[in-house]
Amino acid sequence: MSLQQIGLRLYAQPVGARLIRRLASRLKFAQVSRERAIKSLSVLTLLALWYLGAAMLPSSIMPAPHVVFEVLWNEMLAGPIWSDVAITLSRIVVAFSLALSVALVLGFAMGLSKTAESFFDIWMVGGLTVPSLVLILTVYMVVGLNDHAAVLAAALPVIPILTINIWQGIQAVDHKLIDMSAAYHASRARIIRSVIAPQIAPVMVASAKFGLGLIWKMVLFVELLGRSDGVGYRIEYYYQMFNMAEVLAHALLFLFIMLFIEIVLLGKLERHLFRWRPVQRRF
Amino acid sequence: MTTAGSIEISHVSKTFPGKGGSTWRALDDASFSVRPGEFVCILGPSGCGKSTLLNILSGLDEQYEGVAAIHGQPIGRQHARSSRTAYVFQEPRLMPWRTVRANIEFALATSGFAPSEWKERIDRCLALVELSEVGDFYPQQLSGGMQQRASIARAFAIEPDVLLMDEPFSALDELTARRLRQQLLTIWAKFRSTVLFVTHNAFEATFLSDRILMMTKGPGGRFCDEIDLRILARPRSYEDVAVFESSRKVVERLVSHVGDLNDH
Repeated sequence: MSLQQIGLRLYAQPVGARLIRRLASRLKFAQVSRERAIKSLSVLTLLALWYLGAAMLPSSIMPAPHVVFEVLWNEMLAGPIWSDVAITLSRIVVAFSLALSVALVLGFAMGLSKTAESFFDIWMVGGLTVPSLVLILTVYMVVGLNDHAAVLAAALPVIPILTINIWQGIQAVDHKLIDMSAAYHASRARIIRSVIAPQIAPVMVASAKFGLGLIWKMVLFVELLGRSDGVGYRIEYYYQMFNMAEVLAHALLFLFIMLFIEIVLLGKLERHLFRWRPVQRRF
Repeated sequence: MTTAGSIEISHVSKTFPGKGGSTWRALDDASFSVRPGEFVCILGPSGCGKSTLLNILSGLDEQYEGVAAIHGQPIGRQHARSSRTAYVFQEPRLMPWRTVRANIEFALATSGFAPSEWKERIDRCLALVELSEVGDFYPQQLSGGMQQRASIARAFAIEPDVLLMDEPFSALDELTARRLRQQLLTIWAKFRSTVLFVTHNAFEATFLSDRILMMTKGPGGRFCDEIDLRILARPRSYEDVAVFESSRKVVERLVSHVGDLNDH
């Protein structure tokens, strides 16, 4: 072996390693950009389908995306749309907090106590079965056509769904860890806080995302049925005026806001809460 | 160093209800006592009620007949403060969402240690099980053996008067188990906790303990024999012929009591 060959060998190793590392990082970059590409493609497909629909139907029924965006832009500049959005958002926040807190109490009670489970079981099944429309109308009748009723009516149909989610999350808790905590003399309060709560956190976040999606539809529904402000009312108003561009513009703005909350805010929370989880593999 | 760890079991029986009124008698009139600082192994075939005994001593199982006491006080949740009991299970039972360090913190918190001493205690115990490097890792990032070492570190972190161990090495490969047994003895020599170690492995029992308590086959597990091993000098090593000889005798005694087990 000549000196030159040895030198080449010595040199080749770090170069090879560097090359592999660079390739790997490029591969990772490629994966990320591939995912981005797929997501952009998905949005573009959606837009294309919308254009296709707009081309096939009269523009008064299905206005094209650029028309709707223009209407939305003008609304956003004019201002009144923001007060409707603010009103609806505040109703969502209140209704969502209400539904989640009640579901938390009920779900925990049912998960931890056999008595509570047998007692509330029928309520939950009943709550799931009664159509939301009936619940909403009943609340409006009993409480009156006011904001309290609107929020309550939006929260009520969602409570059983969230409760069942939380209840089942608690049933799936690992009892070996609870035994471990008891063997180390953890108090009941600490076991709930430090051992049970982290295990149902995934269920909680999933429930929150799911519940938020449900609540916002319920809020639009109750606004449409019995309020004279908010995005739901506005959509109903423009629907009566047969102005589909405005209907879609209002829905679109809200879609953007909810997407932001769900993907950016809740997504961030999810990544933070579950940072201990190993990377999930696809089957 | 602690000395407050005597264990007293007298006439303890335990019956599990089965389906349709049938019952399974896991323990039948079991009695024994362990002196503070003693390392005792309970050796017996599967299903002889060894784990039931540990569950009673740890306060997990409160439905039994007879008297079980640690440090002269009957077992119950209320005895938690008068003496400390730690438990190492067959599986590590670490909380996957907490780092190794935070898992140990949990045990320290439940045992009432002031947060100001946590770091020092954890560092010391992690060093004892050679896990200083991985304190900030999550359990799922570690091997099974490392996880079990972390659970041993958690047990010793609370400086237990009594340490209950339920076949802690049975799920590990033999080489890892050997290292961990050796490590356990080294740590025990520092802490001198009373250890009650349940196993079905005769060599493991011989290598580790001062005394072996032998149990009969279930149902109705009872103590049938006792072997004193204090003649074996410590620290012990795997190469020691005396340990090997003794373990052979232990197996003979076990076979004479339990019979050759085909269903084992």
